[in-house]
Amino acid sequence: MSVSVDTGGKGGKKQLNADLNLVPYIDLLTCMVSFLLITAVWTQLARLEAKQKAQGQASTDEQPPTPTVKITVVINDTGYNLVVDQDQTPIPKIDEKNYDTEALQTQLKKLKESHQDKNDVIVASEDTIQFELVVKTMDAVISSRFTDVSLIDAGGAGI
Amino acid sequence: MPIHAPHSHLFGSIKLHVISGKLGHGGRRAVYEALNLVAYIDMMTMLVIFLLMSFSATGEIVFVQKNLVLPDALNWMELDRAPVVSVTKDVVTLDGRQVATGDDLNADPATGDSKLNELHENLVTLKNNYKLLHPNEDFNGSVVLQVDKQVEFKSLKKVMYTAALAGYANVNFAVQPKVKGGAAAAE
Repeated sequence: MSVSVDTGGKGGKKQLNADLNLVPYIDLLTCMVSFLLITAVWTQLARLEAKQKAQGQASTDEQPPTPTVKITVVINDTGYNLVVDQDQTPIPKIDEKNYDTEALQTQLKKLKESHQDKNDVIVASEDTIQFELVVKTMDAVISSRFTDVSLIDAGGAGI
Repeated sequence: MPIHAPHSHLFGSIKLHVISGKLGHGGRRAVYEALNLVAYIDMMTMLVIFLLMSFSATGEIVFVQKNLVLPDALNWMELDRAPVVSVTKDVVTLDGRQVATGDDLNADPATGDSKLNELHENLVTLKNNYKLLHPNEDFNGSVVLQVDKQVEFKSLKKVMYTAALAGYANVNFAVQPKVKGGAAAAE
């Protein structure tokens, strides 16, 4: 197959027609489409990072750790419980199924304003809580600009 | 002007297409048909452009099982290559191979061990293989957990505990990405 550009050259004069060979171009397109279809990523997934921190985990630093406030978000059947050191702020569920994640996020944002240098939060969940809610809670914590999220069992939280 | 032998002459009463058929192919039906490839090239060009724009050099890291629904997340990060542990209510798989059943997940930790033994052995094997293949690199201890959103935390914590025992303290949960939010702003 070729493309011919006719400039109306007359008899006796040099022909100005130029045939553009498209066969290599079609071959290139075919090879590229085959390769890209084979290597295509159809499902775009992402990750949510969580660290596993045991109660009273030893620090690797040689210097003794400076006392900082400990923030824990406990997820249980009645709702959330935001624990800052010894102070507890329960956030009950909106209804039978839905947790008040927005209220939790509001409380966490207030905490972040008062503790600008604090980045780590522990999320403690009870056994019967579904994974979807755990992820939603972790998402709310990260949205409140606490980037270091640890996930532990509520029984190990010591609350 | 050169002189040629005279050819057939067309008479005025004879239709041109009849004569051209008779003279050209001996009365048989023409088998030549031009194939228009313009539309084909346009389609291929659009396909290549679309596939180039969606191309990802990291490739498919996680293959989502058909009976597994991932939760959504706003503050997500790019998925890195790591061993993939899939957890549903019925089965636990590591890189596609079954390593635990639903009974193992639902077993009461008070009466039995919380550790999933086969999963633990396979993870330790993968860790040792990594250290052999990458002697100059530190083992980062990352594992990807692809968990169905209806799985209870009771089952999940066993998998996390097993992974931690095997040396995988850095757990990454596979999620469906939504519009990027706080994590990007915080970085």
